[in-house]
This record gives sequence, structure tokens and C-alpha cells, in this order.
Amino acid sequence: MNAIITEGLTKRYKDKTAVDSLNLSIDEGELFALLGVNGAGKTTTIRMLTCLSTPSAGHAKVFGHDVMAEPDEVKRLVGISTQDTAVAENLTVYENLKFMAGVYMSEEKGKEAEKSISDRIENIIKMFNLDEVRNKKAKTLSGGWKRKLSIAMALIGEPKILFLDEPTLGLDVLARRELWKIIEDLKSKVTIILTTHYMEEAEALADRIAVMISGKIVEIGTMDELEERTGKKGLEEVFVEIAGRN
Amino acid sequence: MNRTLVFAKRNIIEMSRDMLSYIFCIAFPIVMLLIMTLVNESIPAESGMTIFRIDNLAGGVVIFGQTFVMLFTALSVSKDRSGSFLIRLFATPMKSGNFTNGYILPMVAIAVVQSLITFVVAFIISLVVSYDLSPAGLIAAMIAIIPSAIMFTAIGLIFGTLFNQNAAPGLCSIIISLGSFLGAIWFDAESTGGVLLKICRCLPFIYCTKAARAAISLDFSMDAFVIPELIVLGTATILTVIAIAVFRTRMKADLS
Repeated sequence: MNAIITEGLTKRYKDKTAVDSLNLSIDEGELFALLGVNGAGKTTTIRMLTCLSTPSAGHAKVFGHDVMAEPDEVKRLVGISTQDTAVAENLTVYENLKFMAGVYMSEEKGKEAEKSISDRIENIIKMFNLDEVRNKKAKTLSGGWKRKLSIAMALIGEPKILFLDEPTLGLDVLARRELWKIIEDLKSKVTIILTTHYMEEAEALADRIAVMISGKIVEIGTMDELEERTGKKGLEEVFVEIAGRN
Repeated sequence: MNRTLVFAKRNIIEMSRDMLSYIFCIAFPIVMLLIMTLVNESIPAESGMTIFRIDNLAGGVVIFGQTFVMLFTALSVSKDRSGSFLIRLFATPMKSGNFTNGYILPMVAIAVVQSLITFVVAFIISLVVSYDLSPAGLIAAMIAIIPSAIMFTAIGLIFGTLFNQNAAPGLCSIIISLGSFLGAIWFDAESTGGVLLKICRCLPFIYCTKAARAAISLDFSMDAFVIPELIVLGTATILTVIAIAVFRTRMKADLS
């Protein structure tokens, strides 16, 4: 099943076109990387697909739900970890997770619901190895821990699609590798849309890669397909070749 | 749990862990009560000046304290808006009403707790200075100040939504100064009269103080309590509607 389909998806800001007629199809369970330099339109694309920005033209559907006509349904299906670590600074790790669980599971009531929330939080804490910092306030955490918490918060609502916008931006190499491991473990469980301008990140994690330049997808395919089309080895070389052509 | 309550709980926890909220929302009003009581004790009885007498002072200081609740509302909202936290929440099923109510409810609760602490301290002071302060009047005042708490919270929500983390506190300081001066907290506007009294009467602050003081004195007459309370209630309603509309408009603009 298609997790995401876009047709002519466009975003214009006054005199600038941030995303230009995007036609995209992403399968359920896929880890799809949007690669591009700063200002290529990656974040704007994610914002439109998560109902954080209204498209100027075109359509986008998330598991069959139109992002403009059915935003409530779409919001129940997606989780997002933004570029900046969006956490409540004075809340502990556990409280941040509980808060987000409450936001997503507010309709569920009673003791069973409480247990369900509690179980879900414990699973996420285990998955992200957050136990040693569970009672620490978010503002006291390092960048790597904060980023892990931010992604954990995006997953607490059990989304069908997880959007990771530059998840390893500003992290040291060890923290980055640790996050890669977590993202790899998530691959089979949830559809992931990842934006990055780190070539090695996209190469290591993605099933398919789309290269965005000036709001347009100029190449899309698996790593092997991109190498074959450009005649280059390694994503950095592939990217330079594609960027040079455009 | 309802999303509004989930968000309100988060806001209360955030505020309860900020030392400044204790200093400004609780310690400062108590310090003002103590200082002004000392000032009152130094004023000769024959001057007939009663503005700092504990019954008048308690009502004024409670309203003064609410202006700091406004400041904290503005700070909370502008801080949330400056980072990505609200953006993340905009991508969840939360609606604008969940946000605005989630900001307003805890702040009003904090204002009520603040008034409780202020009135308890005022009652203790009244025992020390041997002034007969009615506990029933203080309880009535705690209820009477709820509309003004909503009004100041709404102003804080408007400033926090429209201005950034740097500008919002500065603008709130202007309201704090205006509120305490034109609210006739520290001087008797009625006996001053003239243009100053006319200006005071054009703004809602003096009615907040008047209604609180009247409730403390258990004077529920039309002039002393009912009309001022209705003016505050009306202003609070209008400002709350404006605050909700401003937040909703800003949220829509952020999502456009």
C-alpha cells in the first residue's frame, strides 16, 4: 500500500517557490530519504505532509487521507521529529513521553488506558535506552539524548509514518551512529521519511533516495539505481554529479 | 484525559519548576504586603490615609500579583512559540482551543492559589496590627478576583502570541506599571479626582481593585461591588475572546 502519494505538490512563498510540482509515491514500510542542500525544499515538503503547511497547489495523500481535506485523520497517522529538538524543557524524560502519550491517547479512559499508556512509555524507554535519564529534566540532557527523546516522543502515538527532519544535525559521530542504529531498528515497524544533507546517512539507512534541488526532485531511486544512472560510486559522488547537471 | 487538561498539566509543571514564578507570583506580593503594612504603621492616624490599611492593601496586592500572572502567561506562550515545541504539537490532533484553554486554566488556578496565600498572610498581619479583617470577606474576595485573573491571563496570552520572548515581558511590564498605578493600588484615586481619576475610570484596572476591596469588606452594593465586578467580567470576556481569536489566527498563519 502507498503510505504517501503526492501529485504536483507545490509551495510558493510570495516570490519564491520552495517546492515545485512534487510527484512522489512512497510505499508502506519504506525508509525514504529526501536529500538536498539547505533550502532545497526538504523541510517544506515534510511540513506539507504533516499538515504544518498548506500546499499552494497539488495534492498529497497520507494512507489515502488528503492532507488538506482530512488533516485530523492525517495527524493521527503521523509523528514528527523536527530539526530543533522540540521537547518541554522543564519536564523530565518520562513526563515528556507521558505528555505526548496523553495528547494522542486522550480519548482512551479508565485504568486500562492508564496501563496502556504506561506500557507504551516503558516500551519506548527500553527501545531508546532512555532508562538512565528517565527522571532527568529535558533541559539538562545532552544534544544526543534530547534528539533521542524527540524521536521517542514522535513515536509514542504509534504513528504509521515517522517524519525525521535532519535527525542527526549537530550531533557528534557517536551520537549519530547510535541514532542510526535506532532508526534501522525502526525500519520494519514504521514508514520513515528522513530528510538529511549528510550523504552517508542517506546511504546507510534509506531504501530509496530522492535528490531535491531548488524545490524539485531531480533524481529518485535506490542507491544502486542512482549509481547506475550517474555512473558514479558512492552517494557523495552521485549527488555532486546530479547537482552538477541541474 | 482531555487534551486541554493534558496541556494544562504540562504548563503547571513547567511553571512550578521555574523559581522565578515563586518569586514573582508569591514572594513578591507577600513582600509588598509586609512593606506597605510597615509604611501604613508609619503614617499618622490623623492623616486619615487608609490606602495601606490591611483591608485595602490585601485587595490591591492581590490584583498587583495578578499582573505577574499575566507576565508569566506571556512568557510561557512566547517561549513555547519561539521553539519547535508548539510546531510539534500543531502536527498532533490538538486544536487551537486545547492550546488556549490549556494556557488559561492553569494560570487562573495559580492566580487563585496566589490570592489564597496573599489573603492568609494578610489575615495574619491583621491579627498582628489588631485590625478586624473578616475571613468571610477574604473568601468572597477569592471568588470575586477570578474575572480579573482571567482578564490578566488573557492579556498575557495576547502578548505572548503576538510578540516574541524579548518583547512580550517588556510590554507586560508596561501593563504592570499601568495596572498598579491606574488601578489605584498604591494611591486613592477617588480622592485624587481630576483627569487622573477620569483616565483610571476609562481602564479596567481600577474596577478590579475596587471589586476585590469591596468583597473583602463584604460590601456588595451596586456602586462598590456589582458594577465594578460586571465591568471586569465584561472586559475579561472580551479580552478572552480576542486572545483566543489572536492565537487561532496566529496558529493558522503558522500553518499556512
